[in-house]
Amino acid sequence: MYLTLRELRHDKWKFSALGLIIFLIVFLVLFITGLANGLANDSGSAIKDTPAETFVLQKGSQARLNRSKLTEQDWQNFQNKYHNDVTKLSVAQMTIQKQNNASKKTDIAYFVINQDSFLAPKSIKKTDSNQVYVSRKLESDGYKVGDSFKDSNSGKTFKIAGFTNTESYSHSPVIYLNNRQAKNILPDSNSFNAIAVKKNLTKKSGYQVISKQTLINNIPGYSAEQSSLYLMIGFLYLISLFVLAVFFYIINLQKISDFGTLKALGTKTGYLVRHILTEMGLLSVSGILVSFLVTYLIKLKMPASMPFSLSLTTLLGTGLLFLIIALLSALLSLIKVVKIDPINAIGGNN
Amino acid sequence: MSVLELKNIIKNYPDGENVNEVLKDISFQVKKGEFAAIMGPSGAGKSTLLTIMGALLSPSSGTVLLNNQDISHFSKNQQIQLRLNEIGFIFQNSDLIPYLKISEQLQFIQKISDKKPTDAIAILKQLGLGHRLNSYPNALSGGEKQRVAIARAFINQPDLILADEPTASLDSKRGREVVQIIQETVHQQNKAAVMVTHDERILDLVDSIWQIEDGKLKKVNK
Repeated sequence: MYLTLRELRHDKWKFSALGLIIFLIVFLVLFITGLANGLANDSGSAIKDTPAETFVLQKGSQARLNRSKLTEQDWQNFQNKYHNDVTKLSVAQMTIQKQNNASKKTDIAYFVINQDSFLAPKSIKKTDSNQVYVSRKLESDGYKVGDSFKDSNSGKTFKIAGFTNTESYSHSPVIYLNNRQAKNILPDSNSFNAIAVKKNLTKKSGYQVISKQTLINNIPGYSAEQSSLYLMIGFLYLISLFVLAVFFYIINLQKISDFGTLKALGTKTGYLVRHILTEMGLLSVSGILVSFLVTYLIKLKMPASMPFSLSLTTLLGTGLLFLIIALLSALLSLIKVVKIDPINAIGGNN
Repeated sequence: MSVLELKNIIKNYPDGENVNEVLKDISFQVKKGEFAAIMGPSGAGKSTLLTIMGALLSPSSGTVLLNNQDISHFSKNQQIQLRLNEIGFIFQNSDLIPYLKISEQLQFIQKISDKKPTDAIAILKQLGLGHRLNSYPNALSGGEKQRVAIARAFINQPDLILADEPTASLDSKRGREVVQIIQETVHQQNKAAVMVTHDERILDLVDSIWQIEDGKLKKVNK
């Protein structure tokens, strides 16, 4: 620590530059992670935030809600066995518009649910026949509580009774309908898409039984977005490992003769190893903390059209992972320092 | 009483398929309060001899006695402890740590050593460096740097001081001053010192002179 602090003080510009690189990389990783999570939420939060664990779909529907069609007979099979742990779900992606403005339409997803079931968001209360609860995401399209909107296809109007959270399905805000309301706008109201189960089922012959995550992964666009963003994040980790290793190696290479002198004067190799790790650790921790701060500020300023979501766990996890990466990158320098022979200090070889 | 005594030291290096014998049966001793100089042309084995005296290198055979303790087969860790606490080094280019202030150059040695610290500032002031305590090495002249290196070598109260061509990067006037300081300190504090040099103009300042040539060391009458 004695050497580390004094070296950081003396070479503040050199180390600030290294700290800046660490900050930029961590910030980029956090930013892309936030976007990936934001897009993931925007794609599947209406499914993800429910207590359902398993979904039962029609056999052969390839884990796609819109390709699955179940009947009353299927429903009876499950309800007799699981009672309140199962409920019906239909999803329909449609368009709505403000009552007298046909030019401004908004894509939405209708979730047809039983309002007493576990799929209903907590904020939903019993409503009149034409009052519906909608995702808060609709707010950014100019809808307020009490506003009316028209289903573009059927022409049926509804009144917004209240907002739920920002539930979203395939980047569209969710509108919750009950069965009676759905009858007026959905063509085939006797069938439905899926049965949500609050338990962990694995198999049921004659049906496709999938986990919640599998269902989310198969929401159109979800996997493509997530895998490309996570590929970028993966590469960023890899790149930063090499960039930091090279930078740090070069910085330490310049000090090889100092290390030889220190060893000749009786400094233990372990002390120098600790010195290097502390130096890299301090630089990384400060870079990471600054990037936390900047990410937080950016998060506050992000427009609603760019979904951004970063939990504290993800934030701290990313920071920790990066600290490990940074210390790994010091490995190359450590090998060099361990190998320095103090004899080099003698004979004016320095 | 001898502080450092070398008996029949041989040092071999593998040189391709052959063996290169750098030091051939060398014996040497230096007493308390004695300032010895080792002279010799380059390539004669001066540096190798100094690294063996300084516990940086173990001899191929022979005995190295430091305060009557055989250090020739010490482990790396024992050597480190020995260099830290029993030996003071003065290097050719002073080799100060560039990011430590002058006072910190000494304090660092005191920090990593278990020995009771002496007054580093007083030692620096005594060597005329009082106004340089908070400077970095790059602000110092060559002579000043070498004086700091001398202070660093003495700070831990070692019994043996080893100087590797301390005048090599200085002009003759400053070089002489630096050797004079070493001489005075060695005599005042009753230490043993060995200086490797090829500067004949300073030989009047040392107590004994040894000549090394082709790996053989012999004492020269003063």
